[in-house]
Amino acid sequence: MKNINNDSRKPNVFKTYQDLFFKSLFFVSALISSLMIIIIIFIAQKGISPFLSSYEYGQQNIISFLTGMVWRQDQAIYGVAFIIINTLISGFASLLIAFPISVLTALFVVKIAPKPIGYFIESAIEILASIPSVVYGVFAVGFIVPLIQTLANIFKVQTAGGSSLLAVILLLSIMILPTITSISITAIKAVDIDLEKASYALGASKTQTNFKIVLNSAKSGIFAGAILGLGRAFGEATAVSMVAGNKMFGPTFNLFDITRTMTSTMLAGLKETTGLDYDIRFSVGLVLMGVILISNLLINFVKNNIGKNHA
Amino acid sequence: MRKFNIKDLILDGITYLFSSVSLILLVIIFIFIFQKGFSSLNLELFTSPYWSENYYASIPASNNTYLLKSTLDSNEYYSEKFGIALKDDFNARNEAIVVISYVHPDSPFNELTNSTSGANEGQIITAQEGMIVNKISYINSNGVTRSAGLVIKQMAEDTINTIEKSDQLDSVFLQTQGGGILGSLIATIMLILISLLISLPIGIMTAIYLNEYAKYNRFTPWIRSSIELLTGVPSIVFGLMGVLVLFPITSVFGASGTSILLGGLTLSIILLPVIIRTTEESLKVVPDSFREASHSLGANHSQTIFKIIIPAALPGILTATILSIGRIIGESAALIYTMGTYISDKPELLKGATSLAVQIWSIMNGDQPNFGLASAISIIILVMVLVMNIGVKVLTRSKVKKW
Repeated sequence: MKNINNDSRKPNVFKTYQDLFFKSLFFVSALISSLMIIIIIFIAQKGISPFLSSYEYGQQNIISFLTGMVWRQDQAIYGVAFIIINTLISGFASLLIAFPISVLTALFVVKIAPKPIGYFIESAIEILASIPSVVYGVFAVGFIVPLIQTLANIFKVQTAGGSSLLAVILLLSIMILPTITSISITAIKAVDIDLEKASYALGASKTQTNFKIVLNSAKSGIFAGAILGLGRAFGEATAVSMVAGNKMFGPTFNLFDITRTMTSTMLAGLKETTGLDYDIRFSVGLVLMGVILISNLLINFVKNNIGKNHA
Repeated sequence: MRKFNIKDLILDGITYLFSSVSLILLVIIFIFIFQKGFSSLNLELFTSPYWSENYYASIPASNNTYLLKSTLDSNEYYSEKFGIALKDDFNARNEAIVVISYVHPDSPFNELTNSTSGANEGQIITAQEGMIVNKISYINSNGVTRSAGLVIKQMAEDTINTIEKSDQLDSVFLQTQGGGILGSLIATIMLILISLLISLPIGIMTAIYLNEYAKYNRFTPWIRSSIELLTGVPSIVFGLMGVLVLFPITSVFGASGTSILLGGLTLSIILLPVIIRTTEESLKVVPDSFREASHSLGANHSQTIFKIIIPAALPGILTATILSIGRIIGESAALIYTMGTYISDKPELLKGATSLAVQIWSIMNGDQPNFGLASAISIIILVMVLVMNIGVKVLTRSKVKKW
């Protein structure tokens, strides 16, 4: 007995300090991780700097930046309004294409398909999700762009070799498809089975149950997927910049005309790492963050309203 | 009794149709990339640098004939006077080139003297198989120096025939093929090491703090949501952040601009949410009975964590690592800002370079887009991604069956 007591008393002091040490270490790590988001504030500061009077390369007018319809690096004219509109158009158009496909695919995988087929499609979605954007870019340049060139020839419209708004939209729909699908799958899997049983008990068919009960119950998760997908569409940079074409004025409504998104602007003609032309990219990045934030709020608003209609 | 319902049928039909879209897309993407890139894919791609090197070299005199011991293919042309065989080929940009296909062991081409002015002038160069021969200068019967080869649009056969008529060769303009990915491959590995070295410890420790120490803490939701916010930030914004906030850190180590270190630091921030979330998921499934058993045996909290919980959560941590590597390999936008787009053949920690993904971007945005090479690198990336996908699947399964 005595022996055991001695053994356990001595390390107790050590053990307490050991615990304290590791607890602080883990806490510091958690603090570092959570503080990373604060770094974003630095971007805000840098993005705003060109519009302050103290700016070293000549103060820019924030109004003409936010409402300008021309972006010419060579003449130092920077107007971001049409770029915002272009980004919104390509983002929401691709969401419009990808959203129904994703939701129905998720429904099929979880509720309709036999298990092996569902598993197979789910794996395909996972692989699609893990393909890097630059590979999608190569695919878009080699496959989508020539396809649009052919389409344009058929419809007798002009394109700049196929680089166009349509190419951006198609590319983005492919890229956000797996994002929305995988989150929808999780949401649909979480639907309470009792709800479905109640629906069957009331005489609804399987399809009716799937569309009216399952999808409606999984709505919240599905819209979370849409938000993430839209965020990806707005923030996607390398692949988009490979097919966008970077028009200098706008906005672009013609599907076969070249366009310019915020991300393609940030990547275009990146040469020097000082000066107005470089700093203004931070302003664009700041606007991009704002657009993503506002569109997230918008989708949340839409989601809540749909809930009211069905309640 | 089931009622036949036309509306149901239509909805079902649409569902079947739409769910096949992703499968079809995947097949099209893979077939397309493989078809475009497969011809450019070979072992030399991995071992050769991207930029080709030029050599102007003078050829020593020779009076021998070099008889061929082995047979050559029908598309190779051999000069017995000088002991060299040439053949026609195409480079990565699909331009016709003439390459050396065989050098006789005693051939004068084994002892060329570099005549390019610079540090390497006078060095002995050995002509190697695969080098591009752009020009061979020879001295004709009147003692005048003339040129043969690609510069006057002679292909392998004509070049060999021309130099065979001469008795003395003067000089040769050789070029290494280039177009390889060696530099980017090394840079990618460096990137993986740097970013994992930083983000894995921080990420895992954060996950342990959130799950083992502060599960119901008042600050935990705050920490968690700020980490979640990181997930929604586009990678290009991380690129901006890297140049802005992390560059001062790398400049302490002596970096003067974009560098691999800066790219690695930026990536480690991008990876944090993935590592934290995946590790936390695996910590959550470790049963509480494990912790209780450990405590009841007299172990303290940190002993329990290091000896019981981390080993039990190891598959999850491994999954996080694999997912992170996948992310590093695929990342491009953030790296364009932090590492630059200049393809470096000898990547250094404190200098700019490109990862495989950025090399693709760089090639596609250059003056002469090289689609074949871009597709070949894409195949390499796709294969890596696929392997990692399977790895994660296997790991997840082994994790589930344990308890």
